[in-house]
Amino acid sequence: MSLPSGRPPTDADSVLGARPEIVCEPSSLEEAAEIVGRSARDGKSLVFVGGGTDLDLGRRPASLDVVLRTRRLDRVVEHAPSDQIVVVEAGVTLAALARTLALRGQRLVLDPPLPERATVGGVLAANAFGPRRARYGSARDLIIGISFVRSDGRLAHGGGKVVKNVAGFDLPKLMVGSLGTLGLIATATFRLHPLPEETVTLLSRGLGAPDVWTLTGRMREAQLEPSSVVGLWREDGRIDLSVRFEGFARGVAEQRERFVSMVSGETGSRCDELDAAAAESLWVRHDALRRAGSVRAKLAALPAAFATLVREALAPLFSALERPGFVWYPTLGLGFVTGEPRAAVDPAGAIASARMSLGAGGGSLVLEAAPESIRNRVDVWGAPPSAISLIKSVKSRLDPTRRFAPGRFVGGI
Amino acid sequence: MGTASAALDLATRMAAVVGARHVIADDSELSTYECDGLTGARVRPRLVVLPASTEEVAAVVRIAAEEGIPVVARGAGTGLSGGALPVPGGVVVALSRMRRILEVDLPNGWIRVEPGVINLDVSKAIAADGYYYAPDPSSQSVCTIGGNVAENSGGAHCLKYGFTVNHVRGARIVLADGSVVDLGGPVLDTPGYDLSGVVVGSEGLLGIVTEVVLRVLRKPQATRTFFATFPSTDEAGAAVSAIIASGIVPAAIEMMDRLAIVAAKAATGVDWPDVGAALLMDADGPLAEVEHTSENAIELARRAGAIEIRRPRDDAERALMWKGRKSAFAAVGRISPNYFVQDGVIPRSEIARVLREIESLATSVGLRVANVFHAGDGNLHPLVLYDKTLPGQERAAEELGGEILRLCVRSGGSITGEHGVGADKAAYMSVMFSEDDLDTMGLVRCAFDPEGLLNPGKVFPTPRLCGDRPGPYRPHAAETAGQAWRE
Repeated sequence: MSLPSGRPPTDADSVLGARPEIVCEPSSLEEAAEIVGRSARDGKSLVFVGGGTDLDLGRRPASLDVVLRTRRLDRVVEHAPSDQIVVVEAGVTLAALARTLALRGQRLVLDPPLPERATVGGVLAANAFGPRRARYGSARDLIIGISFVRSDGRLAHGGGKVVKNVAGFDLPKLMVGSLGTLGLIATATFRLHPLPEETVTLLSRGLGAPDVWTLTGRMREAQLEPSSVVGLWREDGRIDLSVRFEGFARGVAEQRERFVSMVSGETGSRCDELDAAAAESLWVRHDALRRAGSVRAKLAALPAAFATLVREALAPLFSALERPGFVWYPTLGLGFVTGEPRAAVDPAGAIASARMSLGAGGGSLVLEAAPESIRNRVDVWGAPPSAISLIKSVKSRLDPTRRFAPGRFVGGI
Repeated sequence: MGTASAALDLATRMAAVVGARHVIADDSELSTYECDGLTGARVRPRLVVLPASTEEVAAVVRIAAEEGIPVVARGAGTGLSGGALPVPGGVVVALSRMRRILEVDLPNGWIRVEPGVINLDVSKAIAADGYYYAPDPSSQSVCTIGGNVAENSGGAHCLKYGFTVNHVRGARIVLADGSVVDLGGPVLDTPGYDLSGVVVGSEGLLGIVTEVVLRVLRKPQATRTFFATFPSTDEAGAAVSAIIASGIVPAAIEMMDRLAIVAAKAATGVDWPDVGAALLMDADGPLAEVEHTSENAIELARRAGAIEIRRPRDDAERALMWKGRKSAFAAVGRISPNYFVQDGVIPRSEIARVLREIESLATSVGLRVANVFHAGDGNLHPLVLYDKTLPGQERAAEELGGEILRLCVRSGGSITGEHGVGADKAAYMSVMFSEDDLDTMGLVRCAFDPEGLLNPGKVFPTPRLCGDRPGPYRPHAAETAGQAWRE
């Protein structure tokens, strides 16, 4: 019953408070498969770590022997610019990949916070996303192929290297958001997009919640196609709404004009075009808001239910947090609440109220980060979804001895 | 008990669920269901049952599960890979009675429908409000949403808008044991695995979809279409590459070669010239953007060697251009007594080379191949022409179809871009996937349907058993029948 070779852990290698016995950093897929396969034979449990940007997600693993870090699996295996696809190893960071792709005028349109640290494998496993999801979809819409190391150490592929392909079950979709509980993502193949000729970021300051929803609906009615629509909550309870248009210069200019007049017509507010530096700092502020605080909750609701969400979910959460922040994606119906626990306030009650309201509309609240004191009191995932028995069945077929992050995912699987 | 009386018993049980007139047991009526769009493969089912609700589907599947009888779900039967081909001795669950639109929520961009709803009827239901459902398979006026979900159907416009899977937010499915599960829903990011993403395109092997939540889109502000002719597919292929490389994402870009153009003209009366190749391109989106991309694409097509560019003067002319394209499959019947429709994918940068190689493969066996396909995403649809009255030609055509698939995989592509694997291409799955890949997909199948009762014999090249059921060894039905074995 030996452990694979690696280095002793430091505090930084702990996952949700669980400290491994050893940390492995394989430099090839073969080596990674060997570590997983060997751990399987010896009954060792594993957690896979990329850039660690979403390491707080999930419950504390019930056991943890090996942390496998993917940072040395960092090759861009193939970039075919004319086919607009790229094959990358899991440990490549989004920023490094963006630099490679930009040389040929292309990009992978996945823009979660912390691109210098976030790895392709981690982004897929956590289903992380950013503002451009509004137009380009999330990881599931951009991934076209995957390979992963199974619990028996064998390498399995799904999908392919062409955008259009319906051969076999969609294993890439299965792996997106599976949080390392079904296998180690080894490589991923993505559909790419051209870098836009022009990008414009517009900002309408200090809107009320109803204005945000009204403008979102009007934009759609007017057939505008923004690549990002983001509401940033301000301390005074108003919302700064930022909208980004990307594409060819003529199209961007025309959409900008129409949006600016729409804002003044609908709300009487001004809408400013930000210069490059101001736009950059706005998106930095967005990323910072997403990552602020030791408590971070992801809220999902129907877009039109925004006012209800503000009243019934946001209000109790804000009352339980110090320095609360909120980012809302009005076209998606997704948002993030962040902050610090407030002394002498029980956050469990606030989370329960928010969940009750969101759940009634078919939505959810996932606690993506929280101190142990809160984790001990509430299930970070919330009530198991109705498909939980099927989810368990999939887990038990692909990881029958339950060694991949046991207990971490939805329903404690 | 004889087979006939067993079928009768089963029919009686099914009739108790759905009503006697919705159970088909009569031999001549059953023949309607013995194939789908892959008409060369025929199996007469034991029974056809037409349930009208999720509860009825669940009850029907539960009865079949108790009896260990395989179940094949069927929509409109337009599939081209034999996905709805019945299984000997099995029950066909036809979903044509489940065609209600259950809920429309345009402010939030979704619609909930039953599986028997016809693809085009989704768009029609919301057209007056300026919305539509994006996936547009050529059969969209007859094919159903349930079948689209099973096959992950595409269409000409999926280049920009994605496939069925990108437009399904959730589904209610009946599992092989008759239990009912909701996957996903109108709100994004339900915690847990993306199982609705896995069910889409699973070809009826994981469950029977009884409700689907579809994403619907606001119609684009403008659409610009042009038709360009070229001396050969080399120049047309180069034009496609140049357009994509310039950063344009066309809504659709379709290619036809000489034979396909001849066929389309014969069938629809479009006044296209006799040329080596033609492209039909749509750009859509905000007006200024579309005018820009359309003009640029035309310029790039000219530079790549276009002979003539035609722009439709009005919607009627545009519709006629698309009619020519969409009817090209059937039109090939005008120039050949028989033909196979093949479906494979290649990297789009390989289009010109692969088309030449297909032509040389065809010439070497004395056959002709017409090509009409989705060029923007490299999804080829070679139509292998033959005359089955000539000895050996049908066989040669089948073999050529197989060679074309191998060529697609060798070129870095896929054995199917939208028609599915079904019964037709199961044998080719091992050309594209390793044994470990197939085993992994088999594990997913086992998680959903451990007895392998839903649509057995499709997708996987060899029967697979799930094993590791607790308790004493019990032979699986497939083992007893000699169709499968344990290692």
